[in-house]
Amino acid sequence: MTTNALSARPTFVATFQRLRLGPYLFMVGFALVVYLIIGPEQFVNALTIGSIYALVAIGYTMVYGIIELINFAHGDVFMVGAFCSMYVLTTPLGQTGPVTDPPALAVILFIDFAVTMLVMGTLGTAIERFAYRPLRNAPRLAPLITAIGVSFILQNIIQIIYGPSPINTPQIIDPAARVVVGGLSIGVINIFIFVTAVTLMIGLQMFVSRTRLGRAMRSTAQDREAAQLMGVDINRTIAATFFIGSALAGAAGVVQGLYFGNIQFTLGFQAGLKAFTAAVLGGIGNITGAALGGFLIGFVEVTAAAQGYFVWAQAAVFAVLIITLVFRPSGLLGQQLGERT
Amino acid sequence: MSAIAGSTAGSTGTDPGLRARLRDFSNRHRSITVIVGMAITAIALPLIVLLPPFSSFSGQNIWLDGFTIAGIYVLLALGLNIVVGLSGLLDLGYAAFFAIGAYTYAFAASPFTGNEFPFWPMLLVGALMAATFGILLGAPTLRLRGDYLAIVTLGFGEIVPIAILNSSKYTDGPNGIGGITPPSIGDFLFPTTGNPWPFYLTMLALITLSMILIYRLQDSRLGRAWMAIREDELAAAANGVNTVTTKLLAFALGASTAGLAGVFLASKLQTVTPNLFRFDVSFTVLAMVVLGGMGNIWGVAVGAFIIFMIQSVFLKQLNLFFDNVNVPILSDIDFLQYQFLLYGVALVAMMLLRPEGLFPSRRRRRELHTEEDAAFGELGDPMGAAPK
Amino acid sequence: MKITRLAAAAAAAALLVSACSSGSTPSPSAEASAGASAGASAAASAGEKGTLKIGVTLPLSGGAAADGQPTLKGAILAVDQANEAGGIGGYKIEVLPLDHAVNGKYNEQQAAQDMQTFAADAAVIGVVGPYNSAVGKVQIPISNEAGLLQCSPANTNESLTKPEFGALDYRKSFPDRINYIRVAATDDIQGPAMATYDYSKLGLRNVLIIDDVTTFGKGVADNFQTKWEELGGTVADRVGAPPDTTDFNGIISAAKGKNPDGVYYGGVVTSGAGLLLKQMRQQGLDIPFTGPDGIVNGPGDAEGSLIQIAGKDAAAGSYGSLAAIGDFPGKADFTAAFEEHFKNDADFNTPGAYSGPAHACATIILKSLDEFLKTSPDADQAAIREGTRAWASDTSHSFDTVLGTESFDANGDTTLPFISFYTVDPAAKDGIGDWVFKEQINFGAE
Repeated sequence: MTTNALSARPTFVATFQRLRLGPYLFMVGFALVVYLIIGPEQFVNALTIGSIYALVAIGYTMVYGIIELINFAHGDVFMVGAFCSMYVLTTPLGQTGPVTDPPALAVILFIDFAVTMLVMGTLGTAIERFAYRPLRNAPRLAPLITAIGVSFILQNIIQIIYGPSPINTPQIIDPAARVVVGGLSIGVINIFIFVTAVTLMIGLQMFVSRTRLGRAMRSTAQDREAAQLMGVDINRTIAATFFIGSALAGAAGVVQGLYFGNIQFTLGFQAGLKAFTAAVLGGIGNITGAALGGFLIGFVEVTAAAQGYFVWAQAAVFAVLIITLVFRPSGLLGQQLGERT
Repeated sequence: MSAIAGSTAGSTGTDPGLRARLRDFSNRHRSITVIVGMAITAIALPLIVLLPPFSSFSGQNIWLDGFTIAGIYVLLALGLNIVVGLSGLLDLGYAAFFAIGAYTYAFAASPFTGNEFPFWPMLLVGALMAATFGILLGAPTLRLRGDYLAIVTLGFGEIVPIAILNSSKYTDGPNGIGGITPPSIGDFLFPTTGNPWPFYLTMLALITLSMILIYRLQDSRLGRAWMAIREDELAAAANGVNTVTTKLLAFALGASTAGLAGVFLASKLQTVTPNLFRFDVSFTVLAMVVLGGMGNIWGVAVGAFIIFMIQSVFLKQLNLFFDNVNVPILSDIDFLQYQFLLYGVALVAMMLLRPEGLFPSRRRRRELHTEEDAAFGELGDPMGAAPK
Repeated sequence: MKITRLAAAAAAAALLVSACSSGSTPSPSAEASAGASAGASAAASAGEKGTLKIGVTLPLSGGAAADGQPTLKGAILAVDQANEAGGIGGYKIEVLPLDHAVNGKYNEQQAAQDMQTFAADAAVIGVVGPYNSAVGKVQIPISNEAGLLQCSPANTNESLTKPEFGALDYRKSFPDRINYIRVAATDDIQGPAMATYDYSKLGLRNVLIIDDVTTFGKGVADNFQTKWEELGGTVADRVGAPPDTTDFNGIISAAKGKNPDGVYYGGVVTSGAGLLLKQMRQQGLDIPFTGPDGIVNGPGDAEGSLIQIAGKDAAAGSYGSLAAIGDFPGKADFTAAFEEHFKNDADFNTPGAYSGPAHACATIILKSLDEFLKTSPDADQAAIREGTRAWASDTSHSFDTVLGTESFDANGDTTLPFISFYTVDPAAKDGIGDWVFKEQINFGAE
């Protein structure tokens, strides 16, 4: 659907297509419909959980965009991030509950996010270095199997250290704190999560489009050989991609702990599955698409719950995915490619 | 028989002439080779487990029972091999077809529905039901690229158990369907315990039949069409291959094998529940196919057997093993909690050491490698488009 | 060869991780019969005739470990106590646990294989387990055909024993030879009991019913709902939340609009009961939380307990039903003995919801064995297996257990007529919070 300057299309449609507003309008329309169906409180729930999915989905899509690997271990990086955040909050920082002093809260949050994101970024890079890089030229399914192997390893290590039962995490943002916005009572934590997610996503988008490393990532994703010929250090670029994607998953882990106040070593699989679905839904390889996909899945799940079909929520998510792919085989924002050679 | 890749572990010292002649014979007389091979396995396995150290673990009956269940996974791996290995279609939701076969037999022969259809014709019916669903699944995915296909198949793999779980009126939901009739020959009803031979021999027969059929398919025009699609779909279409029919047949035939396995499982366990058909079954079968060597039929069967033994027998018995052997530190560890760790480490290690699988397909090897490539120790890249 | 290197690497990895983990988990008392150990030397006369085994079939690894491990330890405690007292009839008793969890969740196929293993091992004279009713369906045909006594501490689905619910389909080989017994109250008793309690004692009228879409959870919730509506109560909503659910906020928000005055949760804590309760309180839904024995799983400092996950203040005022005598002298002793016996374990060193029932099951098997051996001291293993089964399933025999005096009816169901109700007291156990006994109901010969 690229515009052709020679074709006699009316300017409005051409602009519409060039800006690729279609999917965005679809999302806005969908959100509006959902809001009307389920009401403001559930809508807030949906945006919150959607933010978490979006953050994890971005990591998936970045990795896939650059080396075409479905990184099944990514969901477990998210899970490890949640545990890392809990450790940081409880052990060095000694928190147990809500922090009321705003400057102190800001400092604690900053340390928590910074440490967790750094550690998770490192973990992701290490996994890439030792488990995926040797397989870069191997048959495509081999790294897939390896990814699941890594997933098992991460899960089991956390289970051995922390036990199989759910563990409470300190909710340093008071879950009972609410603000009133336009007659609506919204939880502070919900606003915080949404703002954090959007900020990180915008930051990432700017990074990818403005910096050299971001350009290197985009070019590697587009054509690895050409990028190499242009002097891009492939190994470093891929490592950086994993670092950023895993750091974002770590941020999602922090948010999970703050929101739910409880984490478990089995978090990774479900979250990873939904995030992967979100990434595909949005057009795999496309960062904005992954974010949209995450929110879309949040909407679908909460709508299913609100209408009394909670047990079908997972199935509904996949149904939405399949229907979307039937009409747009490359996802909402994906490139409309021809036959891939 | 299938040869282990020559580029790694040394195959020097054996008579190349004899091996080449054996290989030649087996290629020309596939069915006889399969039958002979399976017969040898059928006799060898029960004999091997009578020897120590196997005999100290469990009696022969238990080993045979385990082999029978392993056989179910061999069937599944053979079927998935058609879809993933031969045709290059990444299917992550294979367990759905397994479920359909199992529930078909459950509806056919349990007090839940009141039907009492005999086992043997239901094998065919189960396979057909699964094949039908295979076509239903394949139809909307025809336009999708590799990894989009993967997520859609994953979606189906999740939707089917969820649908079964939540449709209590038709499937009794989480309770599953119990009291399923075991197979019978005339008046002889297969015993549930004590005598594993009826189930064991039936499973061997099913595997033998499937292997013969799959080899026939592989060597036919359809098989070549599958491999053409796997390598380069555009070129295949340009050469007159009907990609739509070929893909649908791949799904259908792959699914039918799973349906077969499902009917057998239902008759052996006498109960089916949605819990038996979750994503980890799909993943395990995929790992078996990849580990065995995608595309290589015998390789996949052996890979399935090995992984099943590791997962179901070896990892579970580690505690008992170390209790018997009495190594100082290791005896104190509760290995049950380390199962995933060891399994994950094994998977990663196996992929790092041998990503093409234990027994990579010789045909693929021949297709892709010239002498020079072999000299550079290439690992092979049949499905990706990695720069060389 | 590469395989050996692989095995060495795997073993090294296991060693490394175990060295780093906080304390080792000693393996259960499944010592090889040839090995001498400190425990055996204390029981001088045990083992002179050899060893008999009690099999345990439970999901013991991954997420299911929180269900299976405490249950297993209940049985181990009973066997260790018997061995310390001198064994049974001159035999030393060994526990043979087999884990039927695959990838962290119970797996019926593995469970069938495990039951085949038990059936084929002549030294196994009884089996404790399983935990999940679906697994029972797969195992009963095998144990029935083999004539092997099987006692479940936790199965509650009616169809496993009662012919009117289809139990004869599971014991097709020998319909009249009862080998499967259980100490848990079936769903058709527990569910209605709580319904009556909620209605009459708590005065609830409009209840939100949530189940975890498993055989147990859905079954007990269905039975609750039937009785509830019979009593005249209304159902605000009936929701299913599968076991891997962690986000209940959507359900809670939706339910708030229907003004429920209480919640009944059909399921176990590992399916998310703790998270549900926690999120309910966070959303301001402060109504009583009630449920079956699956939610009564230990005080606030017990790993994975409802009180620990939700927090003692959130859990305060919750009610649970137990198929056991409520307040009996033996209970405190059991808890103390359990904690003493497993104090060196890294995980699960306090009793869980089904530790007591598992202890009771093991006690029943051991008692049956003991009584049979008194009548036939020189019987061979096959005869011992049959004799133990016959003694246990004899409806005229009774057994003193930590749950009370147990005996079984013609279908293998417990005839213990008590349902006890417990509530969470945040001040109990020195302010940590614990379930305390409230009252019990005697159903007579139900």
